[in-house]
Amino acid sequence: MSAPTSTPPRTTAGTPAPEGPRSPGSAELVRLVAGREISTRLRDKNFIVGVVLTVLLLVGFMAFQIAMSSGADEARLGIVGDAAQLGPAIEAQGEAVDVDVTVVELDDEAAARAAVEAEDVDGALLAGGPAPELIVQDRDSTMEAVVNGAVGGVAVAEQLAEAGVDLSAVPEVQVTALAGDDGNEEQVLVAIIGVLLLYGLLIMFGQFIAQGVVEEKSSRVVELLLATMRPWQLLAGKIIGLGVLGLGQIVLIGVISVGGALAFDLVAVPGDLISTVVSVVLWFVLGYAFFAAAFAVAASLVSRQEDLGTVLTPMMVLLVGGFFVGIQAATDPDGTLAVVTSYVPGLSPLVMPVRQAAGEVAGWEIAVSVALMLVAIVVAVRIGGRVYAGALLRTSGKTKLRDALKAART
Amino acid sequence: MLEFDGLRKSYGANQVLDGVGFTVQPGSMFGFCGSNGAGKTTTMRIAMGLVLSDAGEVRWQGRRLDQELRRRVGYMPEERGLYPKMKVGEQVAYFARLHGLTAAAASKASEEWVERLGLGARRGDAVEKLSLGNQQRVQLAAALVSRPEVLILDEPFSGLDPVGVDSLAEGLLDQVRTGVPVVFSSHQLDLVERLCDSVGILARGRMVATGTVDELRRREAGRLLRVVVPDAVPGWAAALPGVRVVSEQAGDTLLDPAPGTDDQAVLAAALRTGRVTHFAWREPTLVELFRGAVADPRTDEEVAA
Repeated sequence: MSAPTSTPPRTTAGTPAPEGPRSPGSAELVRLVAGREISTRLRDKNFIVGVVLTVLLLVGFMAFQIAMSSGADEARLGIVGDAAQLGPAIEAQGEAVDVDVTVVELDDEAAARAAVEAEDVDGALLAGGPAPELIVQDRDSTMEAVVNGAVGGVAVAEQLAEAGVDLSAVPEVQVTALAGDDGNEEQVLVAIIGVLLLYGLLIMFGQFIAQGVVEEKSSRVVELLLATMRPWQLLAGKIIGLGVLGLGQIVLIGVISVGGALAFDLVAVPGDLISTVVSVVLWFVLGYAFFAAAFAVAASLVSRQEDLGTVLTPMMVLLVGGFFVGIQAATDPDGTLAVVTSYVPGLSPLVMPVRQAAGEVAGWEIAVSVALMLVAIVVAVRIGGRVYAGALLRTSGKTKLRDALKAART
Repeated sequence: MLEFDGLRKSYGANQVLDGVGFTVQPGSMFGFCGSNGAGKTTTMRIAMGLVLSDAGEVRWQGRRLDQELRRRVGYMPEERGLYPKMKVGEQVAYFARLHGLTAAAASKASEEWVERLGLGARRGDAVEKLSLGNQQRVQLAAALVSRPEVLILDEPFSGLDPVGVDSLAEGLLDQVRTGVPVVFSSHQLDLVERLCDSVGILARGRMVATGTVDELRRREAGRLLRVVVPDAVPGWAAALPGVRVVSEQAGDTLLDPAPGTDDQAVLAAALRTGRVTHFAWREPTLVELFRGAVADPRTDEEVAA
């Protein structure tokens, strides 16, 4: 049963067959693992539905904002007579009470009545005589106020001008808002939405990673994988692959919201919006790197999906806590809680962007927070890599953290 | 030459491997036997770098098996492992790529192997939708797709029906014919006896016997003489010198002659009883050798590799 001498060995060491294997480097292995993660997720209907729903929700929110802000009422007013002087006055008066008044010139009273009855205009002002008359279908206090104010204002101005009073001396009122003067409310709103998204995405991608790790353990495919690569290469590939997807998703959401907000003129200061969105995206990268490593390591300790809940609890608590502190930071950006937590690695990605948007945060504060987070990421990846390596092949039951660390050492 | 040399491994106080060593020639098949928990899986995992040995190493063509060299080894773990939701063809191609094939070569090789193992129609199905036997074939395809120089298979035949066993055996023999050394562990000793050029028996972490099946037979006592004498009176052999009667039923007699006993004298005695319809040495089966090697704790005749 030994090999027939007629068939020579097909391969010999050092001279692999032409299309035979070369040795893929670390980068290539990591890329292969990442590629598999991405293509698996992109074909997962649930994931695609999730992305589409998020985008729809966002578009819906913007549509709601548009409806609310342009909810500025519209009105058409017909004027018979002195439209040249009254028209601008009425439009200005309307703007003051958030009514967008369009002035239409009408020929005479008959035409005015016809236009009101046909609901071509919301009201018609007969301004020809000394006693102006407003014709409406039903009484409308806003319209009446706008017209009264305008007519009165024009009359007063005329009379004052006749009396030789200089109107340019009327002082203009300076407005001081106690709630903050730089209009950062909408920036805070954007930051809160951003933190909400960040929280959702971190949990979602953390779960993806955890489930993927357990799937490989429970299906035992991990043994075959580790026969061709090192644990850290597998871990890196997973984190990078899903990270690219997560980043893609948050950038897509950011682009849609910034684009939408600019196109529909939803924000007063576009620069602030963009900087807030960019900071949320950057914090996502940091938060993701940290939590992805933590979720993967925790998941590597168990071998069944059912056991995932218990090992993921600490990270979930951290995320939920960060989320609530982040929301709270919007109202009290300089409070002790917000300031302290904005430095705590793991919490900072959810708190710092809100503080940045809501209050004055010095550059060094952000730098310190980012630096601490980077240190935490390095620690998480290094310790995590060891636990992961030690726990992956223990496919029975739950592995203790200490045992995994010990196993990796030998 | 594939060499397992002096492998030792202990988990705490539990010495799992205590100097396991054997060699496998290119183009030959090595059957790795041993009772449950003897350390077969640990030995194979050490070869694949999944378990670190305390001492000893595994070499292929004189070079220590490292991460890079392991890419040329096809491996089938004892616990079958595939991505359940991944399609058959893509899965096999993925493993080919992990072994270093380019994308094009991997998909071509995957197509080829999936076809060759009779799964062509299932290429686009998720692995979890396949029967266990077919999943096993996918597993084999994953091990063979990178055209490995060495095959290490842990219990490849377990769970297969007789047809599956035959087709897998055929596939492995094909590999052997192209010069690949194949190591596989199995409890099906008849299969090992039929397929393997050499055999190693592992017990309590040590190799208690290695060699060709014939060598083991020669080394082991336990050859029996079967004599069928239909006309003999019961107890006909009891008085023969140097012969122990193992069993006797209606003239079908199993004799255990002491070393140096002249079998021709036994034949002559048999002929004196009348007709002799059968007279032959009965070779011990591998099962009997295995029992003998594994059962007796003192049978520590370690064969140095």
